[in-house]
Amino acid sequence: MKITRIRLEQFKQFRKPVEIKDLTDGINLFTGPNEAGKSSIVAAVRAAFFERHRSSSVDDLRPWGDASASPTVELEFTVAGQPYRVTKSFLGKKRCELQAGPQRLDGALAEDHLAELLGFQYAGKGASAAQHWGIPGLLWIQQGAGQDIQDPVAHATDHLRNALNASLGEVASSGGDDVLATVETQRNELLTPAGGAPRGALSEALKRQSQLDAELKAADADVATYRHKVDLLGGLRRDQAADEAQRPWAGFRRQEQEARGKLEAIKRVQTSLAVDRQRDEQVDVQVKLLRGRLEAFAEQEVAAKTRGVAVEAAQQALTAAAHLVDQWAARAGAGASAYEAARNLLRRARQDETRTSLARELDELKHKAQTTQTRLHQVETEQASLLGLQAQAAAAQIDTHLLQQLRAQSQQLRELQIQRAAAATRVRFRLVDGHGVQLGDEPLTGTGERLLLEATTLQLGAMGQVEISPGGADLPELGRQESAVSDAQAALLQRLGLASLEEAETRHQAHTQREAELKAIRATLKALAPKGLDVLRAESLAQAARAKEVEAALGKIPAVQETAGAPLQSVSEAETAEDGARRALEQINASLGPARVAAGNAQTTLEGAQREHQAAQALLNAPDRPDKLQAASQALVDARAEQSALAASVKTKADEVAQARPDILKQDVERFQRSAEQLEKSFEERKTALLRLEVELESAGAQGLEERCAALARDLAQAARRAEELRRRAAALDHLLKLLKDQRGALTRKLQAPLQKHLNHYLQLLFPQAHLAIDETLSPGPLTRGGPAGPESGAFEALSFGAREQMGVISRLAYADLLREAGRPTLIILDDALVHSDEERLAAMKRILFDAGKRHQILLFTCHPAAWRDLGVTARSIESLRMD
Amino acid sequence: MIKLLHTADWQIGKQYGQFDADDAAVLADARFAVVERLAQLAVAQGVDIVLVAGDVFDAQGVADKTIHRLFNSMAAFSGPWVLIPGNHDAGLAESVWTRAARLSAVPRNAHVCLRPEPLLFPSMGLAVLPAPLTQRHTHNDLTEWFAAAQVPPGLFRVGLAHGSVQGILAEDIDSSNPIAAGRAEQAVLDYLALGDWHGSKQIDPRTWYSGTPETDRFRANASGQALIVSLSEPGGLPSVAQHTTGQYRWRDDAVDMQVPSDIDALLQQLAGLTTADVVTLSLTGRIDLPGQRRLLDAIGQARGRARSLVANLSALRFEPTPEDIGALQADGYLGDVIANLRAAQDGAAAESADVARDALALLASILDERRAGARAVP
Repeated sequence: MKITRIRLEQFKQFRKPVEIKDLTDGINLFTGPNEAGKSSIVAAVRAAFFERHRSSSVDDLRPWGDASASPTVELEFTVAGQPYRVTKSFLGKKRCELQAGPQRLDGALAEDHLAELLGFQYAGKGASAAQHWGIPGLLWIQQGAGQDIQDPVAHATDHLRNALNASLGEVASSGGDDVLATVETQRNELLTPAGGAPRGALSEALKRQSQLDAELKAADADVATYRHKVDLLGGLRRDQAADEAQRPWAGFRRQEQEARGKLEAIKRVQTSLAVDRQRDEQVDVQVKLLRGRLEAFAEQEVAAKTRGVAVEAAQQALTAAAHLVDQWAARAGAGASAYEAARNLLRRARQDETRTSLARELDELKHKAQTTQTRLHQVETEQASLLGLQAQAAAAQIDTHLLQQLRAQSQQLRELQIQRAAAATRVRFRLVDGHGVQLGDEPLTGTGERLLLEATTLQLGAMGQVEISPGGADLPELGRQESAVSDAQAALLQRLGLASLEEAETRHQAHTQREAELKAIRATLKALAPKGLDVLRAESLAQAARAKEVEAALGKIPAVQETAGAPLQSVSEAETAEDGARRALEQINASLGPARVAAGNAQTTLEGAQREHQAAQALLNAPDRPDKLQAASQALVDARAEQSALAASVKTKADEVAQARPDILKQDVERFQRSAEQLEKSFEERKTALLRLEVELESAGAQGLEERCAALARDLAQAARRAEELRRRAAALDHLLKLLKDQRGALTRKLQAPLQKHLNHYLQLLFPQAHLAIDETLSPGPLTRGGPAGPESGAFEALSFGAREQMGVISRLAYADLLREAGRPTLIILDDALVHSDEERLAAMKRILFDAGKRHQILLFTCHPAAWRDLGVTARSIESLRMD
Repeated sequence: MIKLLHTADWQIGKQYGQFDADDAAVLADARFAVVERLAQLAVAQGVDIVLVAGDVFDAQGVADKTIHRLFNSMAAFSGPWVLIPGNHDAGLAESVWTRAARLSAVPRNAHVCLRPEPLLFPSMGLAVLPAPLTQRHTHNDLTEWFAAAQVPPGLFRVGLAHGSVQGILAEDIDSSNPIAAGRAEQAVLDYLALGDWHGSKQIDPRTWYSGTPETDRFRANASGQALIVSLSEPGGLPSVAQHTTGQYRWRDDAVDMQVPSDIDALLQQLAGLTTADVVTLSLTGRIDLPGQRRLLDAIGQARGRARSLVANLSALRFEPTPEDIGALQADGYLGDVIANLRAAQDGAAAESADVARDALALLASILDERRAGARAVP
């Protein structure tokens, strides 16, 4: 396919008509900056084919802001040598004309012809979209979409396959894919697409089947239980009827009663046996008692004898002891006499000695008393004179101190009188006798002199009076002093009862005289009675008394008479004799005491023995003793007889009990009783069980279990049938789908080989030794390249953006080659492609494009004219087109 | 002279799982309906008594409603009904009969014999000797006591039992619930009314199976009948008349399709089906595309007419002719798929062959629809 002319009018960037003529085979390079209109041209070519001319969804084709425009595109091209011209106007004037060789087509027919020719579809509604673009969508790379290869290939696959089938000589399936889709849809309604697990109606049918199956099983189990219970009921009723008729427990009850009777009888024997045994024990005790009693009687006799012997022995012991006492007593008597004698002697000796001493003392006392008496008299005399003197002395006594004071006062008075006299107004007078004057109060007569010490009036009788005032300044003072001292002296004298100092001096002399006399008397008294008169007097009295006492004592002591043969001994001799006698007596008495104690003991022993002997004898002599002895003997004989009788009885009964086996009998009773009870109990239990079972069955029966089972079985059969039908259908669909896919896949694989060949052709120019796989959908798969560590493989999607774009372009070129071989029209449009390729890759890509350009027309739009300068074609400037 | 209606094997409460739910319900209902018809027949024939020889109920555990409904269905005939339990409704300790009694469902004129003792109807000069089953299965002959049964002289002696008469059919030799052959003669019975076999059958001049009055299975020859038995005098031979009582005809048809004309015959047969028909159709052989189309159409139509039509086509081989395939426009890989499936339906493995057959039929129908659709468009 080759486009020869493109004309646009009122189309996007081009408001005015623009025409591109003389397009050549191979590469046609269009350059221009952004917004120059490159994409508008591409859009025009696409719209000419893809959009229905009646479409109202193509407003974007209008020049911007021109709402009334009718975008128009006119294309001239040749396919397989046949010229075509298509003219399409949109929106304002909807029109489509196609001149295909001699044929002229209008409207939708023209459009459908184009779709068939190039291999694409129209959108049912709205603007054309990628999924409609088919082969052109793959070969016409839009700006920035070069790397996107999967979707365009997918959209083109059917067209590709259809287009290529012919070239492969295969019988293409006209409706194969539709059938496949139908089968797949139907299959996927019943099975999950991925795992093939049941879903939808099949899943529901299977679920219902298994649910019903479970329900039926449960219901069947219920029915089985119910049936089992019915059988149980029948069995129980039979057993119960049999029991009611036979009453099997009655026999056991009878047997139990029999065994019980036997047991009671043997129990009575056992009781009797126990009584016998108890009696036997009692008799045994009785025998022992009787024997004891007889032994006691025998013992009494033995005891009496023994006691008699003991009395005799005690008697002998007593006799011996008494003898000993007698011996010692005799000796003691002698000793005592001797001692008494010695003592008398000693007493007399002492008496004598005392008397002598008293007499002597009395003499002394009498002498002493005499002396004392004499002195006493002297003392009493002296004492009397002393007292007289003392009284005199006391009367004359004057206080030495006061005396001194009196003396001082007298001295002072004298001195004061002298001083006054010296200072006083001396009044000397010599009066004619018979005449007198009165000085002061004193009548003056004669001659004299007065010393006036104070103002004094001198009465001169009829002549008047003269006032004389002493002139000395201190005269009144002296007067006052003199008065004071004089008063003090007077007071003192008054106090002493004296008239004057001279008297005082006299008394003082007398007193001193008496004191000296007293002193002498006192010395005398001291010599006579150093301790005083009273002591001396007491002493005298005491001496008199003592003498009287001694005299009395002496009077009491008789004079010792000299006894015959016993000369008076001295006291010490007597004492020694007395001491010896006393000691001898003490030794005798020391032996006599124990002897007497022994004799006493012997006496006591004897008395005890005699008492015991008497008591024993008394027992023997008891009047009822013979009868008692007789009775005890008889009782013992009787008890012995009873014992033997009891032993025989016990043996008989014990044998009887042993033979009857009461323990086994008891077990028999228990066994029969239990057996009967067991049967009765099971009868009662069965009755209850029957009742319960009847109720259970009645209620269960009302549920119509088996009818429900049958209904469930019916439903299950139906469900199973439906599930089986669906399963078969699903299996068939699955199988069919698999077959269809397999066949279709096989066909696709046949297409892969030539595509691979073309792909490799280009790939080697870019990556020597590389390999790009093709998958079943004819899309590029993993790219394998030689790397430093051997071949490296990576998914297409994992390649870099630039590499993917390069692979995208290469793949499209390969598809184009393939289509061309199949005789299909090919046109390649690259709108600003490969902008992400580096210089080296771009160079390689340019070689590739140049190569492709040998077989296909390529319209290449770029805004980088410099990058494509070495493509070997003339670049057309879009801007220059506008100017045309 | 007395007239008896002899019937048996009502199988009340039976469910039919092999059919679609609608059909199954109708067939279950039919079992009540036939009892109503029996009562009407008894009235119409002026019988003295109706004897039901066991298997009145299909199971012990039927719903209370079912019990009531059955006895209500008997209302039209007010004379005595004598019923005995069979193996399906044996007179166990707790049974459908004890429940019926508890529910007070049994009308006065119905005599349910649960013990083997004579039932006397002096007014009509009849002694019925019942042999009720009291276990589900017994290996004793329950009719043995008939011979020794003491009944007043001059009465008709009529036995009523459920089980298999020995020695008549080989497969029944060891069957449970045996009845000695020649029992009627041996026990001096005027007539022995039997149940258990669902087909009506005479055993000897005095012994009959009445069969079920409404067919309930495909293999039951001469079922759907009741017997009117006339006894002229004690000791005289009975006169027995068969009356059709069943509403539905059960057919199990197997057709082998080999030549195209076989299809025509089958279609004719299908066209003759009515609402009284309960049919299972099993097809073998081979069929081509047009044949299959016609067959499926005919089956679809017959289903609308018959009470029930179950068609089993799984053994029918689909063999489209080259013309068929051409007509299907199965070009390209579709053709390969068809060839593959045709080959596979003859494969050794039955299962994969079945799958291939189904898949082929499916593919053919899809293509056929497409073609029909394509034709319809222009």
